Amino acid sequence: MSAASESSAGRREAFFETDAIDQLVTMILEVATDHWVLRERVFVIEKAAEQLGIRLAEAVEAYKLSPEDQQLLATQRKALIENIMRSVNRQHRRTTPPNEQP
Amino acid sequence: MPFELRHGLAAQVDRDTAARQDFVSQLRGYILNDMAAAMRESYDKTVLPAFERTHGRAPRTQDEVHAAMRSNTSFKFYSSVRYNAQEMVWRSVMPTAQESLPKLEQTIRSLSGKSGGSLELDPALAIPENVAGLPVHLMPGGYAPSESPLAGAVYDHGLAVFSAGFMGRDLDDIGLSMSNYVKHRYPDFKPARILDCGATVGHNAAAWARTFPQAEVHAIDVSASTLTYGHGRAESLGVPVHFKQMDATSLKYPDSSFDVVFTSMFLHELSVRDIQKFFSEAHRVLRPGGMLINMELPPNRELGPYDQFYLDWDSYYNMEPYYRTFRDQNPEDLVEAGGFARADYFQFTVPQYSYMDEKDFVAAIHTQQRIDGDTGRLSASLQWFGFGAWKR
Repeated sequence: MSAASESSAGRREAFFETDAIDQLVTMILEVATDHWVLRERVFVIEKAAEQLGIRLAEAVEAYKLSPEDQQLLATQRKALIENIMRSVNRQHRRTTPPNEQP
Repeated sequence: MPFELRHGLAAQVDRDTAARQDFVSQLRGYILNDMAAAMRESYDKTVLPAFERTHGRAPRTQDEVHAAMRSNTSFKFYSSVRYNAQEMVWRSVMPTAQESLPKLEQTIRSLSGKSGGSLELDPALAIPENVAGLPVHLMPGGYAPSESPLAGAVYDHGLAVFSAGFMGRDLDDIGLSMSNYVKHRYPDFKPARILDCGATVGHNAAAWARTFPQAEVHAIDVSASTLTYGHGRAESLGVPVHFKQMDATSLKYPDSSFDVVFTSMFLHELSVRDIQKFFSEAHRVLRPGGMLINMELPPNRELGPYDQFYLDWDSYYNMEPYYRTFRDQNPEDLVEAGGFARADYFQFTVPQYSYMDEKDFVAAIHTQQRIDGDTGRLSASLQWFGFGAWKR
């Protein structure tokens, strides 16, 4: 989903003194979401492996990444970074006067 | 708190997508309960005393509360996280909805007519600017971009994530609560024809059809997308609903043709002028003895300045341009302007039918419920607000 499709106005609301803080909130929430997705998957992997009688933790430590593995992980890492940074180049609507004190 | 739609159009999601949707849903629950409570506490302990010191009185209006809260850190985090969560709701369902669109279209075609419902689109209908020109609720593309059922699918699946489990098993708790209020509060009233206006995907129309299985239920909306999706949805649930593409301000039904005209979360999407037009139309198509009944956010006049400010957050930050304008109205005036007698106006609050025994629900609707900051708000102590009028 492209950033442009998220709002016909093309601008996002901003609540803090600088847009950067609102952008950081977006980044943190995206990271938190992906972090959770991964944690849940790892939890299920370990449980499923256990059901199959596989000692997964030891196997994970012993595994050597192949060049293909590394290429795939690099692609996925790039997608994660783009997702986290999706708010950086958007315009924001200011709701707090810049000089107002918190 | 995993929440899966259980009807025939529910998209199959992979484990990561399900985990993402659960996270966003739970994040919204945290915002609307924990963060909202922290913001209220910050208002009571910091913002209100500061305002009183400066002005020698408490805020009298929600605008004064809003202005005072803008520089409050708790408000900033609440708003920023809530705004992001709203975007994340749609982002969590959009990829799957787009990928499964061909299958969805095929499923709707195969289900059509299975349960006795129907779909009638009007390609010549002019889509009102408030629907065509705005991504209402920040939903990408808005509700009526085309006839493709994609917008309907995004809305239905997004609502499942958005509602954090507060809106019933089939996202139909509003329809179930309102229809069962009518059934149990007025046991002699037996509607034969029911019209749901602004019905989107028909989730509440299906609830009315379940509560009154002998009635013929119609559901209208200007969006072909949500109606097409809603048709397949209702057919898969085994509930006959007749979906028609129509503007509620200009109904294509004859005079005196319905016993109930119902809306849910619809009026606040309209300008006051269009609400008056719609109520005039509702009055025209109702039979004598029929009922107009609307589920809505409670009017601002029933709430204190802080709760007004809290509920009107959507008006400022969630692409809901008419939300506050509607809530500032006196619903009795609106109903009267539509041709109903002021003496025939009624309003009520109702607990959530889906989450309690019917016996307790029936007992609750016969006692006067109070309107407060939890009315119409997705929280653990939620109750719905309704108002309407009888046609004599």
